Amino acid sequence: MATEFHNLQELRHSASLETKVFIQRDYTEGTVCRFQTKFPSELDNRIERTLLEETVKTLNSYYVEAEKIGGQSYLEGCLACATAYIIFLCMETRYEKVLRKISGYIQEQNEKIYAPRGLLLTDPIERGMRVVSFTVLSVQLEISIFEDQGSGTSSPSSSSMSSTGSAR
Amino acid sequence: MPGFSSGGVGGGVGGPASTPPRPFRPSRYTSSYGNNTVCHHFVVPSFFILSRCPWLSEYFSSVIPIYNAVIFLFTLANFCMATFMDPGVFPRAEEDEDKEDDFRAPLHKTVEIKGIQVRMKWCSTCRFYRPPRCSHCSVCDNCVEDFDHHCPWVNNCIGRRNYRYFFLFLLSLTTHIMDVFGFGLVYVLHHRQQLDTPHAAVTMAVMCVAGLFFIPVAGLTGFHIVLVARGRTTNEQVTGKFRGGVNPFTNGCLRNITHVLCSSQAPRYMGRWRRPLSVEVQPPFLRPPLTEAQLEAKVLDNGIQNDQHSTRSKSSLDQMESQSADAEPPPPPKPELHYPSLPRADTEESSLLTEAPPTPSMYKYRPAFNSPGRNHPAFTTPNKVHVNLHLQRWPWRPWWACWGGVKGHVRLLPDWALLHLLPIPSGGSHSSSMRSAHTAHNPLATLHSEGTTDTSYKSLANQTPRNGSLSYDSLLTPSESPEFESVVSPSTPLQGYTSPFLSAQIAQQREGQLLQGSATFSSPHRAYLHAVSPPPPSSCGPLETHLLQHNQDSSSRAPRNPFTSHSSPGAQIFCCLCSFVVLFEIELTPFLLCPPLPNGYPIRSTSRPVLANHTTSKPGGGVKKVTGVGGTTYEISV
Repeated sequence: MATEFHNLQELRHSASLETKVFIQRDYTEGTVCRFQTKFPSELDNRIERTLLEETVKTLNSYYVEAEKIGGQSYLEGCLACATAYIIFLCMETRYEKVLRKISGYIQEQNEKIYAPRGLLLTDPIERGMRVVSFTVLSVQLEISIFEDQGSGTSSPSSSSMSSTGSAR
Repeated sequence: MPGFSSGGVGGGVGGPASTPPRPFRPSRYTSSYGNNTVCHHFVVPSFFILSRCPWLSEYFSSVIPIYNAVIFLFTLANFCMATFMDPGVFPRAEEDEDKEDDFRAPLHKTVEIKGIQVRMKWCSTCRFYRPPRCSHCSVCDNCVEDFDHHCPWVNNCIGRRNYRYFFLFLLSLTTHIMDVFGFGLVYVLHHRQQLDTPHAAVTMAVMCVAGLFFIPVAGLTGFHIVLVARGRTTNEQVTGKFRGGVNPFTNGCLRNITHVLCSSQAPRYMGRWRRPLSVEVQPPFLRPPLTEAQLEAKVLDNGIQNDQHSTRSKSSLDQMESQSADAEPPPPPKPELHYPSLPRADTEESSLLTEAPPTPSMYKYRPAFNSPGRNHPAFTTPNKVHVNLHLQRWPWRPWWACWGGVKGHVRLLPDWALLHLLPIPSGGSHSSSMRSAHTAHNPLATLHSEGTTDTSYKSLANQTPRNGSLSYDSLLTPSESPEFESVVSPSTPLQGYTSPFLSAQIAQQREGQLLQGSATFSSPHRAYLHAVSPPPPSSCGPLETHLLQHNQDSSSRAPRNPFTSHSSPGAQIFCCLCSFVVLFEIELTPFLLCPPLPNGYPIRSTSRPVLANHTTSKPGGGVKKVTGVGGTTYEISV
């Protein structure tokens, strides 16, 4: 039987642990889409407050712009009625346009601000615009654990577990 | 123009070109109410118009047929949009969002909207607190945003996205009926002397039909005009939510009307293309500068962390890490998972120590490392880690589930269909079976649920799946929760549904078997083990688990034990205790033998490159042997 041994200096790093932090919707002004600017305590040592608040405020302003009832949305509605809503097959609605802008903004924020801090912001539309979620990444070691078969008749099985999960 | 038939217009309307086409829902076409609507409201008047138009255009003006055609098309278009459009269905919440699935999470969350307290209820099916004005439709089995009602005529929910079309459909239909009646009357009045002709007779018949249908349609239209003006939904009006009170969702009559008619089309949440996030994440991570208070807390922490190290149980990993201290300078900092935050002067800023979860258990959501990147030389090596995160898997349903439209999960399908499962991307899915197993800890609480109406918790609501969901809960739920959904009739078993009443019977039957002794214990024991066994590390884990559970359900459906239906309260309590103990043991056993990774990562076996100094089974010098969890032995070469 060949028992494999590994030098601990060869332990690898892998960013495999994800935890999520959520920012909920702010319903104080009704059902308009707004997110709370309250800073979640879990991110206290990961990112500056001002950066996060600015991101959320910008997102809120985008949503306000999307839901604004003005000339453009009215004209869009009239055009849709006039064409028996076939225009929706060809044209992107105002809301969808703003959502594209939002996802571009989130991508940019992730690249510039959040990824260097080990966070990832996700688009709220993917969760039905109920929450803004931050994925908190942390780097951790991967350690292999080997079973000693004792009698030495069969090859050892190995399983790799994270260092946090196995300490029970 | 040809009469509209029920097999007519297909989908494809109701979404921008960039989103995938909406799944085809043949169920809409077979609705009897829909057929009624179609025949009476469209076919007959349309036929009438077609036959009378020549005379009307000659006698009055040629605009009349054009006008009638426009009204007819408008009605039809709005009908189609109201029927086929997604009303604003919320996707089910992913597992990582629900972290408070224990006794202490309340069933209701109160939020203040313009100074008025509004309650948000926990939806046990969709696993989130329903936003204000959202309601769970029992027919569609979805939470719908700004839920108005479920319309049987179009066989669809009316919600935020399609309320405008429904409203316009009502308006245009009323107009259309009035037109038909009016022009028919004009014709009849001009042909009083020829009333015995077939044309006149048909016209009068059509007028009668139109007149008959005008009453309910106009009534409904008027009702909705009032609702729109007041800024209420049908659900709110009918349930009397704001009776005598103030409606926090109204912005004035004019603004309410403009909001309904002139706002931009709301986006759909289901069926969106998600672009995978491909971001390079490179440690070390930036950290914000610490304030003075944080620095103070850090100083305190250092001493306290050292104390924790010494008092921690001697697991093998601890020893490994202390040995690794020889090989590598400082070991990675440990998360304070098992020890609650210590009683010191905690300020709001000093949150460097993450709080332990309130009830540490294997299924619980685990917080991240405290600060892995801080001053750790091992992490300052320039290892670029590519994180290709397909984090959000939008509510994926296999292709055959789309045939029911957005009706929820796989539960509509019969057993044989479940055998043709397609693999789904896993990830968070491993934890889903664990989580549902975790909630099954509480049968004891559920049996006493009759008295806990006021202090209801999410865990109780989670016990009772809607319409027979194929979760582990349904196997173990012994009784109904008092917070069962309002709108409804007890569900009848349709199309492979498992009714919650049936699951209660199964659980009672199992308890009866427990009482009878261990001889009969083996089969439900096996059933529980079968359902609880950790899913294989392939990607179709949770669906397979569902399949197993569904099979268990159907296999155990036949033997019904009337014994337990008349048991005394004392025996019931004893049953609960037994089942609680048994379940606790059963659930823990597989995980004790095979501890899972956090966040649902399957246990992988990796093949490592073999080093030069591999030896035979008896380790020689230079290798330390340490014992670890579950009897495993670690051999470390130093």
